[in-house]
Amino acid sequence: MIENFYYLFLSLVAGFCAYRAMISKQLLPSALYLACVSALVSVMLYMLGAHEVAVIELSVGAGLVTVLLVYALSVIGDDTYDPTSIIPKPLAFLLVAATALLVGWMAYPLVSQPAANGEVLLANVLWKQRALDVWVQVALIFSGVMGVLGLLSEKTHPQEIHPHETQAAAEGEAIAVQIEREIHV
Amino acid sequence: MTLNPLNIILFGVVLLLAVGFYGLLITRNLIKIVLVLQILVKAVVLALVLAGKASGNLGLGQSIAATVIVADTIVAVVALALAVQVRRRAGTLDIARISTLQG
Amino acid sequence: MAAILIGLVIGLPWLGAIVLWRTRDETPRLQHTLAVAFSIAAGVASLALIPFASAETVISFPMGRFFGSLTFTADGLAVTLTAIACVIGSLAVVFSVDYMRGEEQLSRYYAFVLLFIGAMTGLLLSGNLLFMFFFWEITALCSYALISFYNDDPKAVAGGIKALIITQVGGVGLLAGALTTYATLGSYQISDLLADAGKMPAGILALVAFGVLAAAAAKSAQFPFHTWLPDAMEAPTPISALIHAATMVNAGVYLLARFYPAFEHVPGWKLSVTVVGLVSALITAFMALTATDLKRALAYSTVSQLGYMVYAIGVGGVFASQFHLLSHAVFKALLFLSAGAVIHSAGTRDMLRMGALGKQMPFARNVFILGALALAGLPILNGFWSKELVLEAGLDRGPLWAYIGMLLGAGMTAFYTLRMTWLVFFGEVRESLHVHDAGKAMKVSLGLLAVGTLTTWLLAGPFGEMLHETLPFHSIHRLNLSELAHEIFTAPATYVALLVVAFGLVIFWMVRNQPTVKNEAWMDFLSRESFGFDWLNRQVAARTVQFASVLQKTQTGVLSWNVAGILGALLAVLIFLVWSVR
Repeated sequence: MIENFYYLFLSLVAGFCAYRAMISKQLLPSALYLACVSALVSVMLYMLGAHEVAVIELSVGAGLVTVLLVYALSVIGDDTYDPTSIIPKPLAFLLVAATALLVGWMAYPLVSQPAANGEVLLANVLWKQRALDVWVQVALIFSGVMGVLGLLSEKTHPQEIHPHETQAAAEGEAIAVQIEREIHV
Repeated sequence: MTLNPLNIILFGVVLLLAVGFYGLLITRNLIKIVLVLQILVKAVVLALVLAGKASGNLGLGQSIAATVIVADTIVAVVALALAVQVRRRAGTLDIARISTLQG
Repeated sequence: MAAILIGLVIGLPWLGAIVLWRTRDETPRLQHTLAVAFSIAAGVASLALIPFASAETVISFPMGRFFGSLTFTADGLAVTLTAIACVIGSLAVVFSVDYMRGEEQLSRYYAFVLLFIGAMTGLLLSGNLLFMFFFWEITALCSYALISFYNDDPKAVAGGIKALIITQVGGVGLLAGALTTYATLGSYQISDLLADAGKMPAGILALVAFGVLAAAAAKSAQFPFHTWLPDAMEAPTPISALIHAATMVNAGVYLLARFYPAFEHVPGWKLSVTVVGLVSALITAFMALTATDLKRALAYSTVSQLGYMVYAIGVGGVFASQFHLLSHAVFKALLFLSAGAVIHSAGTRDMLRMGALGKQMPFARNVFILGALALAGLPILNGFWSKELVLEAGLDRGPLWAYIGMLLGAGMTAFYTLRMTWLVFFGEVRESLHVHDAGKAMKVSLGLLAVGTLTTWLLAGPFGEMLHETLPFHSIHRLNLSELAHEIFTAPATYVALLVVAFGLVIFWMVRNQPTVKNEAWMDFLSRESFGFDWLNRQVAARTVQFASVLQKTQTGVLSWNVAGILGALLAVLIFLVWSVR
């Protein structure tokens, strides 16, 4: 029964961290809270026996994604933003609560009677049963690399001309024309 | 009603799912949306492994969870790249202000 | 062999469409040559396919459980119409060499014509309902693109959009029919539908039957969808001849004939088909009486003649309707193309400005008269034989009131046909137009069609034989030529019909010198408004736009609302699942 308490504790802390990540007005703390969620989830995965996925989750979810987020924030600057929601919050709460309750209701019978364990090794599943998926994933990772290139390519894009700059240029031109006319007169 | 560990993990999954959905609804910042999507995906990964455990085929659950992690990380990367470019061009990340559709 | 020919008949025009799409407009001679070569090759392949007609499925590609198999069946009905589409298509392309000389953007023009020919043959040969719908929609797309070919003319663009929207509305009926058939029979194969129609629940079969009727009426411009065809006359004239007289508009009649055995026992279906044909034939014949635009008059008469074919199917005369389809395709293409020669050189479509053009363009006059006599249904020409067959089928098996209505229509047909011919080629000179006779390429296609108008009725015997042999579900009564002639010449119906036709001609002859001033105000009003259906169309369009502008407010473009919508849909699905699991 002590296991139950571990799981309950981990779930609650993960939920709390997720809530903080969602509600925070600044993006950097959000990213760090997200890393915490990821770490807690990977602990739960490990305890469930999914060791490989736990390791992947920890390194990718808590590591890589956090690094990317922090990097993106450093590129564009961590500005605080207007937290007011566009849609009314009670409506959002109602929608979410109803959905979550229904999902729980539907899924509850499925997990209340765990099946007898007939374990298949992950390696067997990955390389024998789902070999094609794995190769497709390799291709997918390359597309992710392309995405990173897009993230990094700040210098190659020409600087956009801001509207007020063009307006200023037009005004300057108009003044120059006027001066020229006055000279001719 | 007996509480086995799997029920408790289901509770955790639903909790993360609810927080993620709620965040997706009320967030107006593009980068924050990417971040909230990550919370949702954590819930999904946990749910997949949970389903594998419950049905007695943990290997299958794990392999799908790994696929989801790969796919989602790429989604996050591309979405972040887009958000950065949007910020450069539009000067803001607020979804209400970058929307140009005339309603 | 049949498989190869089917592949050629569909593939050659499409290959040609791709090739012509890639040609450059600086080389018009090359474009004309390529288009003619590809279309004639397809025409030859389609003629070569005729001896291979059989009820068997020739090509079958499995496409997975959901789509069924992509099958092609070259039975008698399909190969005949394929030959019509490809041969008249190639004649229209030959005609275009003169008609479109000097026009810009020929690559777009020819690419769509060839795409159309390929799609039309695909529609005819397909044995799978879903792929039939696919080809059906491609023909609608080509029709739209070619009606709006002069896309800087707002009338042409409006006509194209109108045709597209109305045929799409009907197309939904075909799609609904196909999906319903799949849902109840588990197969998209037309042969399965024909064989097992009796096993379907009566209500569902009725849904399919009336869905197909709606699709056919929209495609063939039948009542209440008849308003699009006159506006489609903004297209270049070879297009009007090919798509809007000889082929695509026949697809609706083809559809009804194809599914006739499945639907004939649906209560009310045959009567509805009869009424649709009768009403279309009569009101458009009436509008043709007052029309002053040469092409619009021909378009009205097309709808009217299609009404005859639909009527024939409604009374059970599948062979009569298909035979009239064959005759009509030939003589109406002839009429349209010779009208095209006139319009091309006169530079106007207004018949009131023409007059006495016959002396200057004798060739066009002669072939036009030939086509007009066939349309009026005078003996020896192909229109006579097929129209008599239709009327006889109507008298034998249909209600008497419908037969009387169709007789009246025949009289009106004779009247407006003569009026048309008179206004254009005879009478006094109203405006001195400088015209020249048809060009060389025009003469080739007109001459071939004129020969066809004189001779296609000789094919009645083999045609009926082929339909009898290859359509296992249609009980086609087979007749050879001498039996046909005997039947037609001994039936009193023939003489009644000829009397009515002669009556129409005589009435016109009596009023021939004031044909232009005779229109009463109410007649003009009724014709201009298509008996109120144009008003109805505008109302439907206006309401749709109004409704859309209300719905537009829901499209904020704000991500949060979109997510809320998606979540709401998820909630609905979940509630449905919980409710259905319990």
